[in-house]
Amino acid sequence: MKLNLKWRWAALKNGFQDATAYRLEFLFEVLGSALVPAAIQWVIWYALFEIGGAKEVAGMNYADLLQYTWISLLFTQIRGGDHDFELQEMIRSGALSTYLLRPCSVVEFVWIRGVAPKLFLAGIGLVGGCVIGWIYGLSPLHILLGMGFALLGNIIHYQLSAALASIAFWWEEGYSLLMVKNMLVSLLSGELLPLTLFPQEWKWVWESTPFYLFVFAPTQIAQGKWGPSEILFHLGVAAGWLLFGWVLIRLTWGFGIKRYQSLGG
Amino acid sequence: MNEPSQYRPTLLTYARIFGVQIKNNFVREAVYRTNFLTMMVVDLIWLGIEYTLFAIIYANTPTLAGWTQPQVFFFLGVFFASDALFTTFFQRNFWSFSDLVNRGELDILLTKPVHPLFLALTRWINLTAIFNLFLGIGIMIRYADEAGFAGGIRWLLVPVWLLVGVLAALLLRFAFSIWTFWTERSWALSRLYYQFFAFATKPDAIYPKVIRYTILTAMPFAFIGSVPARALLHGFEASEFLALFAVLSAFALINYSLWKQGLRRYQSASS
Repeated sequence: MKLNLKWRWAALKNGFQDATAYRLEFLFEVLGSALVPAAIQWVIWYALFEIGGAKEVAGMNYADLLQYTWISLLFTQIRGGDHDFELQEMIRSGALSTYLLRPCSVVEFVWIRGVAPKLFLAGIGLVGGCVIGWIYGLSPLHILLGMGFALLGNIIHYQLSAALASIAFWWEEGYSLLMVKNMLVSLLSGELLPLTLFPQEWKWVWESTPFYLFVFAPTQIAQGKWGPSEILFHLGVAAGWLLFGWVLIRLTWGFGIKRYQSLGG
Repeated sequence: MNEPSQYRPTLLTYARIFGVQIKNNFVREAVYRTNFLTMMVVDLIWLGIEYTLFAIIYANTPTLAGWTQPQVFFFLGVFFASDALFTTFFQRNFWSFSDLVNRGELDILLTKPVHPLFLALTRWINLTAIFNLFLGIGIMIRYADEAGFAGGIRWLLVPVWLLVGVLAALLLRFAFSIWTFWTERSWALSRLYYQFFAFATKPDAIYPKVIRYTILTAMPFAFIGSVPARALLHGFEASEFLALFAVLSAFALINYSLWKQGLRRYQSASS
């Protein structure tokens, strides 16, 4: 089957233009959602080390944790936007009908539109990463690999979110599931804390979700903390989640569409 | 020529209107019972995430900037209760605040014989969020002893400090929303509010001087939960009361002045 690149390219362009139409707002959003979580991380390290006088926490000193915070900043913006909320609202309100008439997959269309500004940010992140990497003596190849992982994370995140959004075919309050998912992602992706701070007995919690692939894994790779075998192992994990996500979307949307009445779920 | 007599609504009028708003919102929400349960679960998970975050930090250290784990959990209880009050009575009004201006919906409020700001801030009430108030108070009670809260008569101070928290949240949220009179879309600023709101979810003592000073003055996010929790646990000095009063009053005055200027700029639907 021939892959139609024309509409995909148009959706990508449209998504980018839509996200950046209001440049100041786009800037506010990026800066706010990137810098504030980083600042929160930094103050926790500050409180632990500078105020509390700690020397080491979970095998990491102040400089290690600061480095984690700065590097993770490159990837937190890539992991996903609110396009899953857009999908569930389309189902709930009946606006999905317009998209069903188009000769393209609605789930893919919304993803492509959403990923456009993320690709732009990934480009900026790579340049920023090379500057931070130069300060910390990190390899640009590792940063590039980390960014690749972050983009894989974006796809997995969207797949799971789109599958969750399909709950709107059955249930009015589908958005609540997405809110819960976002909260779990913020904690288990490594965006708020390095996951190595989790006590050993809680390690299974973050290891059993794909969320660590969004921020923690790219940061570990960019910092050069994972060797080739570990990177390959986690790439395999990511591939497994990608496959799972693909099957999940086919199932949930396949069943959901059959229930859809064009007046809402 | 005699001047037309001006109708001046009394406090009782406002109380009656507020009562009607509560009744109307209750009737509306009674229809969506699953929404109540859903939001309860979402809020429980949010609390669980904050709780877990601190549990992870305290698994690695006994104190954080002088705050023990029970003290931080007590703070979380205060913060959660204060936020629940704000969410119940005001938050939903800010979701539609930009529509008031950009779609000209403010017109109808300007024609009513009460202050339009009162109506703009109290039309929508989210009664389902009141559950979180009890949850927050439950957490405070659970950790009060371990946190070193003196208890007894000091429990009477809890509602006062929760109201301070609500007032601070209201003034801050308003300050982030009022710019809708000057900008075409205000959701980015609203989003920015929620980003900065993260500073309210931690005790102010953990912040470096510059940030701490900022969240106690220019952007008083610390007044939502941290300052009330600190005052309940350790008491408050006269100078601190004065500073609190000065900051909140200044914020209220600036907000009101911006509202007046915004109204002058307002051009109904074309604003």
